[in-house]
Amino acid sequence: MNQQTQQIPVVRMEHITKHFPGVLANDDVSLELYPGQVLALLGENGAGKSTLMNMLVGLYRPDSGSIYIRGELADIHSPQDSMALGVGMIHQEFMLVGNMTVAENIVLGMRELPFVPKIDQIRAKITELSKRYGLQVDPDAVIHDLSVGEQQRVEILKLVYRGADILILDEPTAVLTPGESRDLNKIIKKMLSEGKSAIFITHKMDEVIEFSHKVQVLRKGKTVNTCDTAGVTPQDLANMMVGRDILFSLDRCAYNPGGVKLKVDHVTVVNPLGSRPFLDDVSLEIHRGEIIGIAGVAGNGQTQLTEAITGLLHCTSGKIFIDGKDMTNSTPLQVIRAGVSHIPADRGANGVVGDMSVGDNLAMKKYRTSEISRGVVIKRSFLRAFADKLIEAFVIKTPDQDTCVKFLSGGNIQKTILAREIDSCGGVLIAVYPSRGLDVGATEAVRQNLILQRDKGNAVLLVSEELDELQMVADKIAVMFEGRIMGIRDVKETNTEELGMMMAGATGVRRNA
Amino acid sequence: MRIVVEKRDNKSKSAAVLIPLASFAISLILGAMVLLASRSNPLQAYSAMLNGAFGNARRFQYTIVESIPLLMCGLGVGVAFRLKFWNIGAEGQYVWGAIGITWVMQFWKFLPVPMLLPIGLLVGMTLGAVWAGVPGYLKAQWSVDETLTTLMLNYVAIGLAEYLYISAWKAPLGNMGTPEFPREAWLPPVWGKIHSGLYIALAFVVLLWFLLYKTRWGFELNMIGKNPRAARYQGVSIKRNIVLAMLLSGAICGLAGSMNTAAIAHRLTKGVDGGYGFTGIIIAWMAGLNPFASILVAIVMAALTTGADALQIAMKLPESMGEVLQGLVLIPLLAGSIFVEHKLKVIKKEAV
Amino acid sequence: MKKLSVLLVLLLLSTTLMFAQGGKEAAPAAAGPFKVGVIYITSPGDMGYSYMHDQGTKAAEAYFGDKIEVIRMENVPENDASARAMEQLIDAGAKIVFANSYNYQDYMLQVAKENPNVYFEHCSGYLSNENMSNYFGRMYQMRYLSGMIAAKMSTTGKLGYVGAFNTPEVVRGINAFALGARAVNPKATTTVVWTNTWYDPSLERQGAIALLDQGIDVIAQHQDTTEPAKAAIERGKYAIGYNADFRSVVGSDNVLVSPMWDWGNYMIPAIESAMNGTWKSQAYWGGLEDKMVHLSPISPLVPKDFQNVVMAKQAEIANGTWDVFWGPLKDNKGAVRQEAGGKMADDKMLTMDWFVEGVIGSVK
Repeated sequence: MNQQTQQIPVVRMEHITKHFPGVLANDDVSLELYPGQVLALLGENGAGKSTLMNMLVGLYRPDSGSIYIRGELADIHSPQDSMALGVGMIHQEFMLVGNMTVAENIVLGMRELPFVPKIDQIRAKITELSKRYGLQVDPDAVIHDLSVGEQQRVEILKLVYRGADILILDEPTAVLTPGESRDLNKIIKKMLSEGKSAIFITHKMDEVIEFSHKVQVLRKGKTVNTCDTAGVTPQDLANMMVGRDILFSLDRCAYNPGGVKLKVDHVTVVNPLGSRPFLDDVSLEIHRGEIIGIAGVAGNGQTQLTEAITGLLHCTSGKIFIDGKDMTNSTPLQVIRAGVSHIPADRGANGVVGDMSVGDNLAMKKYRTSEISRGVVIKRSFLRAFADKLIEAFVIKTPDQDTCVKFLSGGNIQKTILAREIDSCGGVLIAVYPSRGLDVGATEAVRQNLILQRDKGNAVLLVSEELDELQMVADKIAVMFEGRIMGIRDVKETNTEELGMMMAGATGVRRNA
Repeated sequence: MRIVVEKRDNKSKSAAVLIPLASFAISLILGAMVLLASRSNPLQAYSAMLNGAFGNARRFQYTIVESIPLLMCGLGVGVAFRLKFWNIGAEGQYVWGAIGITWVMQFWKFLPVPMLLPIGLLVGMTLGAVWAGVPGYLKAQWSVDETLTTLMLNYVAIGLAEYLYISAWKAPLGNMGTPEFPREAWLPPVWGKIHSGLYIALAFVVLLWFLLYKTRWGFELNMIGKNPRAARYQGVSIKRNIVLAMLLSGAICGLAGSMNTAAIAHRLTKGVDGGYGFTGIIIAWMAGLNPFASILVAIVMAALTTGADALQIAMKLPESMGEVLQGLVLIPLLAGSIFVEHKLKVIKKEAV
Repeated sequence: MKKLSVLLVLLLLSTTLMFAQGGKEAAPAAAGPFKVGVIYITSPGDMGYSYMHDQGTKAAEAYFGDKIEVIRMENVPENDASARAMEQLIDAGAKIVFANSYNYQDYMLQVAKENPNVYFEHCSGYLSNENMSNYFGRMYQMRYLSGMIAAKMSTTGKLGYVGAFNTPEVVRGINAFALGARAVNPKATTTVVWTNTWYDPSLERQGAIALLDQGIDVIAQHQDTTEPAKAAIERGKYAIGYNADFRSVVGSDNVLVSPMWDWGNYMIPAIESAMNGTWKSQAYWGGLEDKMVHLSPISPLVPKDFQNVVMAKQAEIANGTWDVFWGPLKDNKGAVRQEAGGKMADDKMLTMDWFVEGVIGSVK
């Protein structure tokens, strides 16, 4: 502490306030980052972490407040401005051109680049930097041949090449395997030793403890607490994030599976634009009263698996059975009629119609039934009663059922979807990243509801990227890698280490527990 | 200090009333400036326009007659617009309606004369539907951009109509027109110039309102229009509904064409492409795709056309002045609609 | 929904306002100038067809002075809008209404039947009523004379003609032109391009260029703009004008001559008879002898002695001893269309849908 206060902070943000329509994204937030240190910005989705950092790199302008870089007042209008001050950010979505090489991507858009770049010099510098920080990047590799972890290292290299010594990383481990996360940690440590510093945006508590020196917790746009990481427990951080204690265990009945409800039999789905298929000979069975979890780093075929089952994606080969009936390549409506409910990934884009009311969104499956319609005519009074019933049952916080869904919080949007899908569920519930970005309370509600469906004898397929969620909720976990199922494990017979290996592509060698 | 445009948190109800009002006032002022510049008294000009559009029963009738095809085309394109399917081919679908009824009247001699009108209207409707269904199918099946296909098909339809009335179907006597329809097969008048197409148009207003706001299909169209991906996840077939909506859209525009031909020109002739299909786009847009609102917007648009005649007669202004004033009314109204959903915010920069 | 109610209120408000206004206007001035309504298909500013009509209207204005008041409506489409325009003119007090384009005729007949106290004059059609006449001029006579001049000045013997639509009026003009040309040079050919528009500067120019590219060296036209003539002059070739005197409009002696209309010579007596109550319904087709048509001054590039040959032919037409479509006549497929010795009947001329020998092109 004493040592820090003597130094000048490399970044100092003072009393930053930022409004968006209807949202106070940052409310009088101040922040300090010292050289050689990692500051973790912890908070739930929508707490204002990314907004704060986007102002530091000039993507947004604060309504009020000021930013000092190395003690000097900075006027940052654009990412170029921030780059000139040595501040660079790696976003969740990488900003790389897929069909160009690493070297080309690194120099792309640089202001001081001569008209005819000296490629050899650039390549030499990349190789040198890559060695220095252990990045292991080949300057001539083409981006779309690289893994996600490698692409992230290219992003880091891009910033370092341009002289950044203050790195901002937005949820850097979300797309990484546990092994890749550890590599990232090493790279960051190496950089800190050279006097660089970093800010981590995250909502994962173990990551905070693993990576950072100091942690600043944001909630609803305000700073809740700032403290040294040493001596903080995950429970402390969770309490700061949500403002109350969280339950880490869920009630459930004993595992007692029934017959096979859903069977995926050697399904392959070809990717028309890529070399490897979305799904490669995938087989899976889900029994009644069972939750199968699908683990894997995002983008390894999990969503495609759920879309193949729900009729949204055409199966190139293989079969899908529900209750023993062949449902391969049925229309989405036929699959719905067979009793399959689907909580899709990206709830805003796929799960709800934002410009329609909460009531209408709740009715988007049942409007076809006599519960809401008489023949082809929708009975508004039936719909209203139906919606009110679900709003009450699932504790959806909304001013009224006529409010557009887009005005609800993420958690309440997800509850709306959950209510609709669970209400209409006829035996199979498929949930894709259902708790992604939700606060602890909403996450708990989602998980509890999934377990409730299992206890009622439904077959549940849960896709998640968080192993602890899967370990908490699922009965069995299947790990997907590059469109294949690497193995299926009973939750009680596996551990994080083994699952992590499988997520990174290692074929699960069956250990004798 | 700077001014930014921000989206309103919730649609403001007072803004929805005040903004069109203010927009209209602005257009009147803009128009007045143009009129003053051409040495005319704006008040006189405006009252002459109103007088020309509504000044007596006869003028009122002409305005209503003009508004019927506008309303139908507005309703027609409105159905497609609900799906964010940009059908700008209403003009071509309208022309096909006119071709269809002419075909029946001129060549379906085997039909008894009283059957000519209903069958002609149906055939016109069907041809309009097919003409719209083609781009609908192309979009649904192969994602072919509908703005281009519908626009280009307009010119094909207009060109074909020209060929028919100039050459192939030309009346033996006279030129640039097919033979006149049998008098018994004309669409009968209901009041002076106003023909019974008015009833058909109003029936379609109610029908579409019911279809779009009360039925499961309307609910599905709403879902697709506002979020097609989510609609597909809910089991709604996008392809099928695009084709269905386009068939209905084209059928209504086609009926507009066959109705107007049976009521007014009584033959396929020069002037069949009167621009109703294009104005229909503006009507659907300004009415917010609401069938009932379309009635009023169609009347206003018709009045702008019929009223403009009076500028030449009463004010001795050139015909183009009417078009200028029409444009001046539209621009602030369309621009103003932005502010129903957005607001201006003035940010005063703090002293640093 | 709210927008709707606003529009409704506005509409009601304005309707009341204007009914008040309407009341004031209701009493027509008992004595005042005799009101004449005129409806044009285009704007008289086009230097073409409507311009020539407006010259006639202006001649009438000059002749009657403040005894008449003319109300003009321009760019009136050939659909229901024309009926509306006629009724608005009648509302404004017009006692006689002229309309200058073919497809107005259905609407004019309809309005004429509903307004028996107003006289209607339709130009270029065939319909009539007790209170509706149709009128036109024998422009083909001037086309013949211009064809003579074109053939005389052509070095290749290949003439071109930019035509709007394949209506009998245009076909007749082309045939007359071709006959005139063959009278001077029996080997002369006249090639036709159709633009399918009365008024489109760029299409008209394209049509002329297509002809010039075939080695044609005189361009005649039945169009409303000067573009075909300009295209010819820009290539150093000759042009035959139409409607206005193109030689002064374009400013080049390469415009050899322009057949012109004199609508005033019909409009003045028509208005006069309407004013004094002697108006009679007729189907009028006036020619050179009625001064409905005339030739502009001939370009000085045309040899003086040949100008005299043309004038002699004009005199022959004017005194009625000869007319253009004089048998024997064959069409360009070899079929005899008019037996020898005598002129063609008007009804055959009015429905002409074939080309004479020497025309390259098809009516369809």
